[in-house]
Amino acid sequence: MHSARSAARSEGSARAESPRPGLLAALREIVGAGGLLARPEDLLVYEADGLTVHGAKPAAVVLPRDKTEVVRVVRACRAHGAPFVPRGAGTGLSGGAIALDDGVVIECSRMNRMLRIDPENRVAVVEPGVVNADLSQAVAQHGLFYAPDPSSQMACTLGGNVAENSGGPHTLKYGTTTQHVLALELVLPDGALVRIGSATGFPAGSDLVGAVVGGEGTLGIVTEITVRLSPVPEHAETLLGIFPDVVSACRAVGAVIAAGLVPAALEIVDRRTIAAVEASVYAAGLPTDAGAVLLVELDGPAVAVARQVERVRALALAAGAREVAIARDAAERARFWRARKGAFGAMGRLAPDLYVHDAVVPRSRLPEILERVCEIGDRYGLRLSNVFHAGDGNLHPNISFDRRDADELRRVVAAGEEILKVCVEAGGVISGEHGIGTEKRAYLSMVFSDADLGAMCRLRAAFDPDGVCNPGKIFPTTRFCMEANPKARGYERVELG
Amino acid sequence: MSAGVGRLVDALGPEAVFLHEPRAVEGAKLEATLRPQSGEALAEMLRVLGEEALPVLLRGGGSRLATANVPCRARVLLETGGLDFAPEIDAEEGVARCAAGGRLAALGAALAGSGFELPLDPPGRDATLGGALAAAAAGPRFAQPRDAVLGLGVVLASGERIRCGGRVVKNVTGYDLAKLFVGSFGTLGVIEWAWLRLVPAPEETRVCVAPFGLDPEEDASALAAARRPSVRAAALADAALLGDAAPGDAPRWLVIELAGDAAAVAADAEALAREHGALPAEAGALERARGAQGAGPLRIRIAARPTRPPAAALRLREAGGEVLAHPARGLAWARFALEGPADERGVDRALAAATRAVSDAGGARRLEEAPVAAREGREVFGGATASLALERAVKRQYDPAGLLNPGRFVGGL
Repeated sequence: MHSARSAARSEGSARAESPRPGLLAALREIVGAGGLLARPEDLLVYEADGLTVHGAKPAAVVLPRDKTEVVRVVRACRAHGAPFVPRGAGTGLSGGAIALDDGVVIECSRMNRMLRIDPENRVAVVEPGVVNADLSQAVAQHGLFYAPDPSSQMACTLGGNVAENSGGPHTLKYGTTTQHVLALELVLPDGALVRIGSATGFPAGSDLVGAVVGGEGTLGIVTEITVRLSPVPEHAETLLGIFPDVVSACRAVGAVIAAGLVPAALEIVDRRTIAAVEASVYAAGLPTDAGAVLLVELDGPAVAVARQVERVRALALAAGAREVAIARDAAERARFWRARKGAFGAMGRLAPDLYVHDAVVPRSRLPEILERVCEIGDRYGLRLSNVFHAGDGNLHPNISFDRRDADELRRVVAAGEEILKVCVEAGGVISGEHGIGTEKRAYLSMVFSDADLGAMCRLRAAFDPDGVCNPGKIFPTTRFCMEANPKARGYERVELG
Repeated sequence: MSAGVGRLVDALGPEAVFLHEPRAVEGAKLEATLRPQSGEALAEMLRVLGEEALPVLLRGGGSRLATANVPCRARVLLETGGLDFAPEIDAEEGVARCAAGGRLAALGAALAGSGFELPLDPPGRDATLGGALAAAAAGPRFAQPRDAVLGLGVVLASGERIRCGGRVVKNVTGYDLAKLFVGSFGTLGVIEWAWLRLVPAPEETRVCVAPFGLDPEEDASALAAARRPSVRAAALADAALLGDAAPGDAPRWLVIELAGDAAAVAADAEALAREHGALPAEAGALERARGAQGAGPLRIRIAARPTRPPAAALRLREAGGEVLAHPARGLAWARFALEGPADERGVDRALAAATRAVSDAGGARRLEEAPVAAREGREVFGGATASLALERAVKRQYDPAGLLNPGRFVGGL
């Protein structure tokens, strides 16, 4: 069986009842039998999120329909001493949505109403279970869209996006979730319902919204989100540059940024990923002898885009591109993007598991860091490939592996740690868009001092003094953040051998 | 000299503490001034101030000193202007590490020729970076300083020096604590330096002005103009604020700065001329329009959704205010004349208008500048915020003894 999860799973199935008698009944009273999942087979899917190597079995999953039910669920959990975790679609990649310590998962998928769309003021008020792409679709008729577009946007929810401060390929120009959230309503860990921020974007007090976005669900359960909508640009063009190697593709990215151009997206796909994509159903007709592919999207007023296309093409050729193609129509644009968006699926078919890493470095360091990342992967004998948001310096080394192979899993984890170290040494950070969760909590001290982490814990203590809201996440050890149940039971760190 | 200040001198040395006769600033009775020249010195000062229970009034360039509640319960003035070093500019990345004490004008000058610009432009010639960030001071081009900050060095009330965020443009490594310090008026920590995300210098910049009447109906057209893609700043100013920079006798003028791609700027300039009668203007027109944003004696800011300020502006104008609005951002400032610093009736009249304006328009009002006497007993930051209990909890965590700017922020925090 899968080594990391087997312990949790067998512990869970051996447990006949919840260790907190009365909790399930209290929850059922609030959400009804149809809104409560507690049978082992129903809980299986909630044992992990998109990071499959970390797992923990929750005591129960509740599916509240509105904020009142969330308040009551939180109060019931507190009354029974159970920690709780908000969960959207479970597409997160850092273990943020798993419930440690026999916690209760509060899944927000039924709270999926768009409460108000105000096209004149370019604002929408939605519940946390609304799917990211659905919002853009709903406001398209007004010439608007919701800008942050994580790769999982067809499935992931806005509540999850708020928790993780999600990015996406277009954050280079449009910013991450935090730049698009104006106000929040949330249930605090003591059961109080509060509103923070302002639909105007100018709150009277501190920027509490800015602090909660990216809080990984440890500061409360978001029940309503007020977001900024952006005008759909008049025109967009997509370019695909074929490069002999990653270094020259990175050089082109540097030249574009230095020229003062701000493309909507600047994505690089490496040789190894191209090979995987071309061997899969996502095949985009890329030359498999290319060293790297650079995808550039330019948007804005048509007259500006037309000039920028020419400038980017010239900069790419000067940097060493073999060829620069411009998408002639929507079909071709989709084909270009398939090389990027199909990468995860293509890599996924190479092995049972895919580990999607996430780190950021100053973009000028990309060529050298990528070389080292590949060297690390090779040294550990791993199938590692790279797709990345080059404009942001955001790397995503992907490792195809089989977690049933204990030795390979150990190598995956060890290589990941080394990659993070290299990125931090280059002036970077250990997560650009996936979050820390359980995945990287042991590594947070690579980036921050104890005093820095202590300052973060003060924020946690202001919102969740007892540490009952998504405990066991983000912080390296239980020295931090006074958690009510510091054992973080049910979760095993992958043994490094 | 009080005993506490005496011990401060003992601990920090006489050369670090500037003693003076008790001086009333922002309602505080200040006995001494500290001017730290480094983060280490600042940290040591805060540690000793904490031990002696001597609260401080923070001052950067002084341009936002009057945008806060009084009385301040501070005993010592802490000036951050000495926290200065040459900015570390990485033009390849488009980022820069800048000292909190750096004057924005000097930082802007240091960036000249780098291909990038400072993403902050609040009014106030002497504004420091630290002060502008602490006050989340909005300018016509850049309304949200939070978006410019990638990372911060902060000294907490405890004297601990911490770092949050980083130098990279995308980062979710731990809580986004920088957001908490930007806009909290120094009440949670003292900003020491910041990594800023710079903005590319535009290929072309043009300023034009278009005449508008006072009828709120016309504001929809101003909003449409302000939303053209190349618009970097749009200020709808009452004619009195523009003075002789106005090219005619319309009651209001929309001053627009177009910036970016030259072809897009030209296309927008043409469209603005065709649809709104816009005329080319000198770059100084925008600076003139900022008058209402930058000069006293009494200024009130209204923040509302973008379609709402017109009605608010009407109310403010009826009460004698001269109004400047940033249409696409939903911000409006009104400047009122006062008959001396103790003109209670003048302040009441203006505030009553602002309150009506806010109740019509939604949003919130803020007293951006007023004499100390006029702010006494009034909430500068608008009405009660729904999240005040949470604000208090945050303050208790970061500054439990109330050392930093006590009494200055929302709800008297």
